[in-house]
Amino acid sequence: MFDQNGLSLDQAPPIGVVFGLFFMGAIFGVLSGVSILYYGADILSPYTTGAVVFTHIMTLGVMLSFMLGALFQMLPVIAGVVISDPIRKARPIVGMVAVGVVSLLAGFIWGAPWSFIIASVLLGGAIFHTSAMMIPRLYKLTNHSASSRGMLISLIALLITGVFALLLTTAMGGLWDGVGMLYMDVKETHYSFGIFGWVATLIISISFQTVEMFYVTPPYPKFMSRYLPSFILLALVVGATFSMLHLTIAWVGIEILIAIMLILYSITTLYRIQKRKRPLTDATVLFWYLGMGSLLVSMILLLSNFWIHSESIAQIVMVLYGSFALSVLFAMFYKIVPFLTWFHLNSQGYFTAPMMHEVIHPKNAKKHLWIHISLLVSFIIGIFVHQVLILSGVLAIASFGTIAYHIYHAHTLYKDTQANGEKFEFDMPTMS
Amino acid sequence: MKKVLLDARELAHPKPLEMAIESLREMDGDSYLYMINRKNPVPLISLANQHGFQVLTHQIDDELWHILITKNQENSLQEWLDV
Repeated sequence: MFDQNGLSLDQAPPIGVVFGLFFMGAIFGVLSGVSILYYGADILSPYTTGAVVFTHIMTLGVMLSFMLGALFQMLPVIAGVVISDPIRKARPIVGMVAVGVVSLLAGFIWGAPWSFIIASVLLGGAIFHTSAMMIPRLYKLTNHSASSRGMLISLIALLITGVFALLLTTAMGGLWDGVGMLYMDVKETHYSFGIFGWVATLIISISFQTVEMFYVTPPYPKFMSRYLPSFILLALVVGATFSMLHLTIAWVGIEILIAIMLILYSITTLYRIQKRKRPLTDATVLFWYLGMGSLLVSMILLLSNFWIHSESIAQIVMVLYGSFALSVLFAMFYKIVPFLTWFHLNSQGYFTAPMMHEVIHPKNAKKHLWIHISLLVSFIIGIFVHQVLILSGVLAIASFGTIAYHIYHAHTLYKDTQANGEKFEFDMPTMS
Repeated sequence: MKKVLLDARELAHPKPLEMAIESLREMDGDSYLYMINRKNPVPLISLANQHGFQVLTHQIDDELWHILITKNQENSLQEWLDV
Protein backbone atom coordinates (compact mmCIF):
# COMPACT_ATOMS: atom_id res chain seq x y z
CA MET A 1 0.00 0.00 0.00
CA PHE A 2 1.53 3.28 -1.13
CA ASP A 3 0.49 6.49 0.42
CA GLN A 4 1.90 9.88 -0.47
CA ASN A 5 0.55 11.29 2.75
CA GLY A 6 -1.27 14.59 2.80
CA LEU A 7 -1.83 14.91 6.53
CA SER A 8 -1.29 18.24 8.23
CA LEU A 9 -0.75 19.26 11.81
CA ASP A 10 -4.36 20.14 12.50
CA GLN A 11 -4.90 16.39 12.23
CA ALA A 12 -2.43 15.72 15.03
CA PRO A 13 -3.98 15.16 18.47
CA PRO A 14 -5.35 18.49 19.71
CA ILE A 15 -3.64 19.47 22.95
CA GLY A 16 -6.38 21.85 24.17
CA VAL A 17 -9.13 19.26 23.75
CA VAL A 18 -7.25 16.42 25.41
CA PHE A 19 -5.98 18.57 28.32
CA GLY A 20 -9.44 20.11 28.79
CA LEU A 21 -11.17 16.74 29.06
CA PHE A 22 -8.46 15.29 31.32
CA PHE A 23 -8.62 18.35 33.61
CA MET A 24 -12.39 18.10 33.87
CA GLY A 25 -12.04 14.39 34.71
CA ALA A 26 -9.53 15.26 37.45
CA ILE A 27 -11.84 17.89 38.97
CA PHE A 28 -14.72 15.40 39.04
CA GLY A 29 -12.26 12.94 40.59
CA VAL A 30 -11.60 15.39 43.42
CA LEU A 31 -15.38 15.72 43.77
CA SER A 32 -15.64 11.91 44.03
CA GLY A 33 -13.31 12.08 47.04
CA VAL A 34 -15.51 14.78 48.61
CA SER A 35 -18.57 12.57 48.03
CA ILE A 36 -16.85 9.65 49.80
CA LEU A 37 -16.16 11.92 52.78
CA TYR A 38 -19.74 13.25 52.77
CA TYR A 39 -21.69 10.03 52.24
CA GLY A 40 -19.31 7.57 53.96
CA ALA A 41 -20.46 3.93 53.87
CA ASP A 42 -23.67 4.91 52.01
CA ILE A 43 -21.71 4.81 48.76
CA LEU A 44 -21.44 1.03 49.20
CA SER A 45 -25.20 0.40 49.27
CA PRO A 46 -26.49 0.39 45.68
CA TYR A 47 -29.87 1.99 46.38
CA THR A 48 -28.75 5.01 48.43
CA THR A 49 -28.40 8.53 47.07
CA GLY A 50 -24.73 8.46 48.06
CA ALA A 51 -24.03 5.38 45.94
CA VAL A 52 -25.86 6.76 42.89
CA VAL A 53 -24.09 10.14 43.22
CA PHE A 54 -20.64 8.57 43.70
CA THR A 55 -21.15 6.07 40.86
CA HIS A 56 -22.16 8.76 38.37
CA ILE A 57 -19.34 11.12 39.37
CA MET A 58 -16.93 8.26 38.68
CA THR A 59 -18.48 6.86 35.52
CA LEU A 60 -19.59 10.08 33.83
CA GLY A 61 -17.52 12.84 35.42
CA VAL A 62 -14.22 10.97 35.66
CA MET A 63 -14.23 8.04 33.25
CA LEU A 64 -16.26 9.56 30.40
CA SER A 65 -14.05 12.68 30.48
CA PHE A 66 -10.77 10.73 30.56
CA MET A 67 -11.93 8.25 27.94
CA LEU A 68 -13.15 10.93 25.55
CA GLY A 69 -9.80 12.72 26.04
CA ALA A 70 -7.97 9.48 25.24
CA LEU A 71 -10.18 8.96 22.18
CA PHE A 72 -9.42 12.42 20.80
CA GLN A 73 -5.73 11.59 21.25
CA MET A 74 -5.89 8.07 19.85
CA LEU A 75 -8.22 8.48 16.86
CA PRO A 76 -5.71 10.32 14.68
CA VAL A 77 -2.66 8.49 16.00
CA ILE A 78 -3.70 4.86 15.97
CA ALA A 79 -6.79 4.85 13.75
CA GLY A 80 -5.72 7.55 11.28
CA VAL A 81 -9.14 9.20 11.71
CA VAL A 82 -9.09 12.90 10.98
CA ILE A 83 -11.39 15.28 12.84
CA SER A 84 -10.88 18.67 11.28
CA ASP A 85 -11.10 21.70 13.58
CA PRO A 86 -11.25 19.45 16.64
CA ILE A 87 -11.11 22.26 19.21
CA ARG A 88 -14.27 23.93 17.93
CA LYS A 89 -16.05 20.58 17.71
CA ALA A 90 -14.91 19.28 21.10
CA ARG A 91 -15.46 22.44 23.16
CA PRO A 92 -19.25 21.93 23.42
CA ILE A 93 -18.62 18.38 24.65
CA VAL A 94 -16.61 19.65 27.63
CA GLY A 95 -19.34 22.15 28.54
CA MET A 96 -22.20 19.70 28.05
CA VAL A 97 -20.56 16.94 30.11
CA ALA A 98 -19.61 19.36 32.92
CA VAL A 99 -23.05 20.98 33.29
CA GLY A 100 -24.85 17.73 32.44
CA VAL A 101 -23.14 15.74 35.20
CA VAL A 102 -23.76 18.52 37.76
CA SER A 103 -27.45 18.62 36.75
CA LEU A 104 -27.73 14.86 37.02
CA LEU A 105 -26.15 14.90 40.48
CA ALA A 106 -28.52 17.70 41.52
CA GLY A 107 -31.39 15.53 40.31
CA PHE A 108 -30.22 12.56 42.36
CA ILE A 109 -29.65 14.71 45.47
CA TRP A 110 -32.75 16.96 45.40
CA GLY A 111 -35.03 14.92 43.16
CA ALA A 112 -35.98 17.91 40.99
CA PRO A 113 -37.43 16.62 37.69
CA TRP A 114 -36.06 19.61 35.71
CA SER A 115 -32.51 18.60 36.71
CA PHE A 116 -32.99 15.23 35.01
CA ILE A 117 -34.37 16.94 31.92
CA ILE A 118 -31.37 19.32 31.69
CA ALA A 119 -29.02 16.36 32.30
CA SER A 120 -30.82 14.37 29.59
CA VAL A 121 -30.43 17.15 27.03
CA LEU A 122 -26.79 17.93 27.85
CA LEU A 123 -25.38 14.46 28.45
CA GLY A 124 -27.45 12.99 25.64
CA GLY A 125 -26.25 15.84 23.44
CA ALA A 126 -22.60 15.24 24.38
CA ILE A 127 -22.82 11.51 23.65
CA PHE A 128 -24.75 11.95 20.39
CA HIS A 129 -22.45 14.75 19.25
CA THR A 130 -19.37 12.62 19.97
CA SER A 131 -20.90 9.58 18.28
CA ALA A 132 -21.94 11.58 15.22
CA MET A 133 -18.41 13.00 14.97
CA MET A 134 -16.51 9.74 15.41
CA ILE A 135 -18.65 6.74 14.40
CA PRO A 136 -19.14 7.63 10.69
CA ARG A 137 -15.43 8.43 10.30
CA LEU A 138 -14.43 5.13 11.87
CA TYR A 139 -17.07 3.25 9.91
CA LYS A 140 -15.76 4.63 6.60
CA LEU A 141 -12.19 3.42 7.22
CA THR A 142 -11.24 1.01 4.47
CA ASN A 143 -8.23 -0.46 6.24
CA HIS A 144 -9.29 -1.26 9.82
CA SER A 145 -6.80 -2.20 12.51
CA ALA A 146 -7.87 -4.18 15.57
CA SER A 147 -7.80 -0.91 17.52
CA SER A 148 -9.90 1.15 15.10
CA ARG A 149 -12.47 -1.65 14.81
CA GLY A 150 -12.64 -1.93 18.60
CA MET A 151 -12.99 1.84 19.03
CA LEU A 152 -15.94 1.80 16.65
CA ILE A 153 -17.57 -0.95 18.70
CA SER A 154 -16.96 0.85 21.99
CA LEU A 155 -18.51 4.05 20.60
CA ILE A 156 -21.57 2.09 19.44
CA ALA A 157 -21.80 0.70 22.99
CA LEU A 158 -21.51 4.25 24.39
CA LEU A 159 -24.36 5.35 22.14
CA ILE A 160 -26.54 2.44 23.31
CA THR A 161 -25.59 3.22 26.94
CA GLY A 162 -26.66 6.82 26.32
CA VAL A 163 -29.99 5.82 24.76
CA PHE A 164 -30.88 3.62 27.76
CA ALA A 165 -29.70 6.36 30.14
CA LEU A 166 -32.05 8.79 28.40
CA LEU A 167 -34.95 6.37 28.89
CA LEU A 168 -34.20 6.45 32.62
CA THR A 169 -33.52 10.17 33.07
CA THR A 170 -36.48 11.35 30.98
CA ALA A 171 -38.71 9.03 32.99
CA MET A 172 -37.27 10.47 36.22
CA GLY A 173 -37.80 13.93 34.74
CA GLY A 174 -41.50 13.14 34.45
CA LEU A 175 -41.54 13.41 30.65
CA TRP A 176 -43.09 9.98 30.33
CA ASP A 177 -43.77 6.86 32.37
CA GLY A 178 -43.10 4.39 29.60
CA VAL A 179 -40.21 2.68 31.37
CA GLY A 180 -42.71 1.45 33.98
CA MET A 181 -42.33 -2.23 34.64
CA LEU A 182 -39.22 -2.40 32.45
CA TYR A 183 -37.33 0.02 34.73
CA MET A 184 -34.98 -2.57 36.24
CA ASP A 185 -34.38 -4.22 32.85
CA VAL A 186 -33.52 -0.87 31.28
CA LYS A 187 -31.26 -0.03 34.22
CA GLU A 188 -29.39 -3.34 33.99
CA THR A 189 -29.01 -2.99 30.22
CA HIS A 190 -27.77 0.61 30.67
CA TYR A 191 -24.99 -0.26 33.08
CA SER A 192 -24.03 -3.52 31.37
CA PHE A 193 -23.43 -1.66 28.10
CA GLY A 194 -21.61 1.12 30.00
CA ILE A 195 -19.36 -1.13 32.09
CA PHE A 196 -18.56 -3.87 29.58
CA GLY A 197 -19.45 -2.35 26.21
CA TRP A 198 -18.04 1.16 26.54
CA VAL A 199 -15.36 0.99 29.26
CA ALA A 200 -13.95 -2.50 28.69
CA THR A 201 -13.99 -2.55 24.89
CA LEU A 202 -12.41 0.90 24.61
CA ILE A 203 -9.57 -0.04 26.96
CA ILE A 204 -9.15 -3.39 25.21
CA SER A 205 -9.08 -1.77 21.77
CA ILE A 206 -6.55 0.85 22.73
CA SER A 207 -4.39 -1.77 24.44
CA PHE A 208 -4.12 -3.82 21.23
CA GLN A 209 -1.93 -1.10 19.80
CA THR A 210 -0.50 0.84 22.72
CA VAL A 211 0.80 -2.05 24.85
CA GLU A 212 2.76 -3.30 21.89
CA MET A 213 3.90 0.19 20.86
CA PHE A 214 4.86 1.53 24.29
CA TYR A 215 6.52 -1.57 25.71
CA VAL A 216 7.61 -3.51 22.59
CA THR A 217 5.69 -6.66 23.43
CA PRO A 218 4.70 -9.59 21.23
CA PRO A 219 1.45 -8.83 19.36
CA TYR A 220 -1.89 -10.05 20.77
CA PRO A 221 -3.21 -13.30 19.28
CA LYS A 222 -5.09 -12.51 16.06
CA PHE A 223 -8.38 -14.14 17.15
CA MET A 224 -8.41 -11.99 20.29
CA SER A 225 -7.56 -8.66 18.69
CA ARG A 226 -9.97 -9.28 15.83
CA TYR A 227 -12.99 -10.72 17.60
CA LEU A 228 -13.01 -9.89 21.34
CA PRO A 229 -14.69 -6.42 21.17
CA SER A 230 -17.28 -7.67 18.63
CA PHE A 231 -17.98 -10.70 20.79
CA ILE A 232 -18.57 -8.55 23.88
CA LEU A 233 -20.96 -6.27 21.96
CA LEU A 234 -22.82 -9.25 20.51
CA ALA A 235 -23.17 -10.82 23.97
CA LEU A 236 -24.56 -7.52 25.32
CA VAL A 237 -27.07 -7.20 22.48
CA VAL A 238 -28.28 -10.76 23.16
CA GLY A 239 -28.53 -9.97 26.89
CA ALA A 240 -30.46 -6.75 26.24
CA THR A 241 -32.88 -8.52 23.88
CA PHE A 242 -33.68 -11.20 26.44
CA SER A 243 -33.91 -8.56 29.14
CA MET A 244 -36.55 -6.60 27.21
CA LEU A 245 -38.52 -9.84 27.02
CA HIS A 246 -38.35 -9.98 30.85
CA LEU A 247 -35.86 -12.84 30.69
CA THR A 248 -33.44 -10.97 32.98
CA ILE A 249 -31.89 -14.27 34.02
CA ALA A 250 -30.14 -14.21 30.62
CA TRP A 251 -27.80 -11.54 32.04
CA VAL A 252 -26.29 -14.18 34.33
CA GLY A 253 -25.16 -16.23 31.36
CA ILE A 254 -23.96 -13.14 29.51
CA GLU A 255 -21.97 -11.88 32.51
CA ILE A 256 -20.35 -15.31 32.95
CA LEU A 257 -19.39 -15.33 29.28
CA ILE A 258 -17.99 -11.78 29.35
CA ALA A 259 -16.15 -12.43 32.64
CA ILE A 260 -14.40 -15.47 31.09
CA MET A 261 -13.42 -13.38 28.05
CA LEU A 262 -12.05 -10.60 30.25
CA ILE A 263 -10.09 -13.12 32.35
CA LEU A 264 -8.47 -14.47 29.17
CA TYR A 265 -7.77 -10.91 27.98
CA SER A 266 -6.18 -9.82 31.28
CA ILE A 267 -3.96 -12.93 31.44
CA THR A 268 -2.92 -12.38 27.81
CA THR A 269 -2.04 -8.74 28.50
CA LEU A 270 -0.14 -9.54 31.71
CA TYR A 271 1.85 -12.17 29.82
CA ARG A 272 2.66 -9.72 27.05
CA ILE A 273 3.82 -7.01 29.42
CA GLN A 274 5.93 -9.59 31.23
CA LYS A 275 7.55 -10.49 27.89
CA ARG A 276 8.26 -6.88 26.89
CA LYS A 277 11.58 -6.09 25.27
CA ARG A 278 11.86 -2.74 27.03
CA PRO A 279 13.39 -3.65 30.40
CA LEU A 280 12.46 -0.41 32.21
CA THR A 281 9.66 -0.73 34.78
CA ASP A 282 8.29 2.79 35.02
CA ALA A 283 5.03 3.89 36.65
CA THR A 284 3.03 3.27 33.47
CA VAL A 285 4.09 -0.39 33.36
CA LEU A 286 3.06 -0.77 37.00
CA PHE A 287 -0.28 0.96 36.32
CA TRP A 288 -0.88 -1.61 33.54
CA TYR A 289 0.03 -4.49 35.86
CA LEU A 290 -2.30 -3.10 38.52
CA GLY A 291 -5.11 -2.54 36.02
CA MET A 292 -4.89 -6.01 34.52
CA GLY A 293 -4.44 -7.65 37.93
CA SER A 294 -7.52 -5.79 39.19
CA LEU A 295 -9.55 -6.93 36.16
CA LEU A 296 -8.43 -10.53 36.60
CA VAL A 297 -9.32 -10.71 40.31
CA SER A 298 -12.52 -8.72 39.76
CA MET A 299 -13.80 -11.16 37.14
CA ILE A 300 -12.78 -14.24 39.13
CA LEU A 301 -14.69 -12.86 42.13
CA LEU A 302 -17.67 -12.00 39.90
CA LEU A 303 -17.82 -15.61 38.75
CA SER A 304 -17.35 -16.94 42.30
CA ASN A 305 -20.15 -14.73 43.56
CA PHE A 306 -22.72 -16.46 41.38
CA TRP A 307 -22.36 -19.29 43.91
CA ILE A 308 -21.35 -17.41 47.08
CA HIS A 309 -23.87 -14.50 46.88
CA SER A 310 -21.90 -12.16 49.14
CA GLU A 311 -22.66 -8.43 49.16
CA SER A 312 -19.08 -7.65 50.22
CA ILE A 313 -17.66 -9.62 47.29
CA ALA A 314 -20.02 -7.78 44.92
CA GLN A 315 -18.65 -4.50 46.31
CA ILE A 316 -15.03 -5.66 45.92
CA VAL A 317 -15.82 -6.65 42.31
CA MET A 318 -16.96 -3.09 41.58
CA VAL A 319 -13.99 -1.48 43.36
CA LEU A 320 -11.53 -3.70 41.47
CA TYR A 321 -13.28 -3.05 38.18
CA GLY A 322 -12.95 0.69 38.86
CA SER A 323 -9.29 0.11 39.63
CA PHE A 324 -8.91 -1.69 36.29
CA ALA A 325 -10.34 1.26 34.35
CA LEU A 326 -8.62 4.02 36.34
CA SER A 327 -5.21 2.31 36.46
CA VAL A 328 -5.14 1.89 32.68
CA LEU A 329 -6.41 5.45 32.16
CA PHE A 330 -3.64 6.75 34.42
CA ALA A 331 -1.07 4.68 32.50
CA MET A 332 -2.34 6.30 29.30
CA PHE A 333 -2.39 9.74 30.94
CA TYR A 334 1.32 9.53 31.86
CA LYS A 335 2.13 8.65 28.26
CA ILE A 336 -0.22 11.11 26.56
CA VAL A 337 0.33 14.38 28.47
CA PRO A 338 4.17 14.53 28.24
CA PHE A 339 4.04 13.32 24.64
CA LEU A 340 1.46 15.89 23.50
CA THR A 341 3.30 18.77 25.19
CA TRP A 342 6.64 17.76 23.70
CA PHE A 343 5.26 16.90 20.27
CA HIS A 344 3.22 20.06 19.75
CA LEU A 345 6.10 22.30 20.82
CA ASN A 346 8.50 20.41 18.54
CA SER A 347 6.13 20.59 15.63
CA GLN A 348 5.85 24.33 16.20
CA GLY A 349 9.63 24.44 15.97
CA TYR A 350 10.69 25.25 19.55
CA PHE A 351 14.31 24.33 20.28
CA THR A 352 13.68 24.84 23.96
CA ALA A 353 10.71 22.49 24.17
CA PRO A 354 10.84 20.60 27.47
CA MET A 355 11.78 16.93 27.26
CA MET A 356 9.02 14.51 28.13
CA HIS A 357 10.48 13.67 31.56
CA GLU A 358 10.47 17.41 32.35
CA VAL A 359 6.73 17.66 31.69
CA ILE A 360 5.93 14.96 34.25
CA HIS A 361 8.92 13.48 36.01
CA PRO A 362 8.79 9.66 36.21
CA LYS A 363 9.39 9.88 39.98
CA ASN A 364 6.24 12.00 40.37
CA ALA A 365 4.26 9.47 38.34
CA LYS A 366 5.48 6.75 40.70
CA LYS A 367 4.44 8.81 43.75
CA HIS A 368 0.97 9.02 42.25
CA LEU A 369 0.99 5.27 41.69
CA TRP A 370 1.50 4.74 45.43
CA ILE A 371 -1.35 7.12 46.27
CA HIS A 372 -3.54 5.20 43.81
CA ILE A 373 -2.58 1.81 45.30
CA SER A 374 -3.23 3.14 48.81
CA LEU A 375 -6.66 4.34 47.67
CA LEU A 376 -7.49 0.90 46.28
CA VAL A 377 -6.35 -0.91 49.45
CA SER A 378 -8.15 1.53 51.77
CA PHE A 379 -11.34 1.23 49.71
CA ILE A 380 -11.32 -2.56 49.99
CA ILE A 381 -10.62 -2.40 53.74
CA GLY A 382 -13.33 0.28 53.99
CA ILE A 383 -15.93 -2.23 52.75
CA PHE A 384 -15.40 -4.12 56.03
CA VAL A 385 -14.27 -1.27 58.33
CA HIS A 386 -16.35 1.74 57.25
CA GLN A 387 -14.26 4.32 59.14
CA VAL A 388 -11.37 3.64 56.75
CA LEU A 389 -13.44 5.20 53.96
CA ILE A 390 -12.48 8.61 55.38
CA LEU A 391 -8.91 7.78 54.34
CA SER A 392 -10.21 6.67 50.92
CA GLY A 393 -11.90 10.04 50.45
CA VAL A 394 -8.71 11.92 51.32
CA LEU A 395 -6.63 9.67 49.05
CA ALA A 396 -9.09 10.12 46.15
CA ILE A 397 -8.76 13.89 46.52
CA ALA A 398 -4.95 13.55 46.64
CA SER A 399 -4.91 11.21 43.63
CA PHE A 400 -7.02 13.34 41.32
CA GLY A 401 -5.53 16.55 42.72
CA THR A 402 -2.13 15.20 41.60
CA ILE A 403 -3.51 14.58 38.12
CA ALA A 404 -4.99 18.09 37.98
CA TYR A 405 -1.63 19.53 39.05
CA HIS A 406 0.24 17.57 36.35
CA ILE A 407 -2.10 18.94 33.67
CA TYR A 408 -1.73 22.49 35.03
CA HIS A 409 2.07 22.12 35.11
CA ALA A 410 2.21 20.72 31.54
CA HIS A 411 -0.05 23.48 30.27
CA THR A 412 2.06 26.16 32.00
CA LEU A 413 5.25 24.74 30.47
CA TYR A 414 3.56 24.67 27.08
CA LYS A 415 2.43 28.28 27.28
CA ASP A 416 5.78 29.48 28.72
CA THR A 417 7.68 27.81 25.89
CA GLN A 418 5.35 29.35 23.33
CA ALA A 419 5.84 32.77 24.93
CA ASN A 420 9.61 32.68 25.52
CA GLY A 421 11.04 29.68 23.65
CA GLU A 422 13.61 29.77 20.86
CA LYS A 423 12.49 28.48 17.49
CA PHE A 424 14.35 26.44 14.91
CA GLU A 425 13.52 26.07 11.23
CA PHE A 426 13.63 22.90 9.18
CA ASP A 427 15.44 25.01 6.49
CA MET A 428 13.72 23.79 3.38
CA PRO A 429 15.76 24.09 0.16
CA THR A 430 14.55 26.59 -2.39
CA MET A 431 12.47 24.97 -5.12
CA SER A 432 14.09 25.16 -8.55
CA MET B 1 20.85 10.71 -2.30
CA LYS B 2 22.26 9.70 1.05
CA LYS B 3 20.16 7.23 3.02
CA VAL B 4 19.77 7.86 6.79
CA LEU B 5 18.48 4.56 8.14
CA LEU B 6 16.40 4.42 11.32
CA ASP B 7 15.30 0.90 12.22
CA ALA B 8 12.86 1.56 15.07
CA ARG B 9 11.26 -1.88 15.31
CA GLU B 10 12.83 -2.67 18.65
CA LEU B 11 12.37 0.82 20.13
CA ALA B 12 9.54 1.77 22.49
CA HIS B 13 7.31 4.75 21.72
CA PRO B 14 8.13 7.70 21.70
CA LYS B 15 11.84 6.99 21.05
CA PRO B 16 11.33 6.39 17.29
CA LEU B 17 9.59 9.74 17.00
CA GLU B 18 12.30 11.58 18.98
CA MET B 19 15.04 10.10 16.80
CA ALA B 20 13.15 10.76 13.57
CA ILE B 21 12.49 14.42 14.45
CA GLU B 22 16.16 14.85 15.37
CA SER B 23 17.08 13.38 12.02
CA LEU B 24 14.68 15.72 10.18
CA ARG B 25 16.22 18.72 11.95
CA GLU B 26 19.70 17.78 10.76
CA MET B 27 18.68 16.71 7.26
CA ASP B 28 20.10 18.41 4.15
CA GLY B 29 18.61 18.45 0.66
CA ASP B 30 20.69 15.50 -0.54
CA SER B 31 19.58 12.92 1.97
CA TYR B 32 16.45 11.07 3.00
CA LEU B 33 15.30 9.38 6.18
CA TYR B 34 14.48 5.71 5.75
CA MET B 35 12.53 4.58 8.80
CA ILE B 36 11.45 1.01 9.47
CA ASN B 37 8.75 0.85 12.12
CA ARG B 38 6.12 -1.50 13.50
CA LYS B 39 3.36 1.13 13.21
CA ASN B 40 2.45 3.98 10.91
CA PRO B 41 3.89 7.02 12.79
CA VAL B 42 0.98 9.38 12.08
CA PRO B 43 2.25 12.31 14.22
CA LEU B 44 5.67 12.21 12.50
CA ILE B 45 4.03 12.22 9.08
CA SER B 46 1.81 15.15 10.12
CA LEU B 47 4.85 17.08 11.28
CA ALA B 48 6.85 16.31 8.15
CA ASN B 49 3.99 17.37 5.88
CA GLN B 50 3.44 20.54 7.87
CA HIS B 51 7.05 21.55 7.26
CA GLY B 52 6.97 20.75 3.55
CA PHE B 53 8.89 17.47 3.50
CA GLN B 54 8.13 14.85 0.88
CA VAL B 55 6.76 11.73 2.60
CA LEU B 56 6.13 8.18 1.46
CA THR B 57 4.70 5.42 3.64
CA HIS B 58 4.58 1.81 2.60
CA GLN B 59 2.90 -0.93 4.64
CA ILE B 60 4.49 -4.36 4.32
CA ASP B 61 2.13 -6.09 6.75
CA ASP B 62 0.26 -5.42 10.04
CA GLU B 63 3.53 -5.12 11.93
CA LEU B 64 5.90 -3.55 9.43
CA TRP B 65 5.99 -0.10 7.81
CA HIS B 66 8.65 1.61 5.71
CA ILE B 67 8.57 5.42 5.90
CA LEU B 68 10.68 7.65 3.67
CA ILE B 69 11.03 11.39 4.28
CA THR B 70 13.14 13.96 2.47
CA LYS B 71 13.44 17.70 1.90
CA ASN B 72 14.21 17.03 -1.74
CA GLN B 73 11.10 17.71 -3.83
CA GLU B 74 12.62 16.76 -7.19
CA ASN B 75 13.27 13.02 -6.85
CA SER B 76 10.40 10.64 -6.24
CA LEU B 77 10.83 8.72 -3.00
CA GLN B 78 9.34 5.66 -4.62
CA GLU B 79 12.61 4.91 -6.38
CA TRP B 80 14.40 4.67 -3.00
CA LEU B 81 11.88 2.28 -1.51
CA ASP B 82 13.74 -0.89 -0.61
CA VAL B 83 11.19 -3.73 -0.74
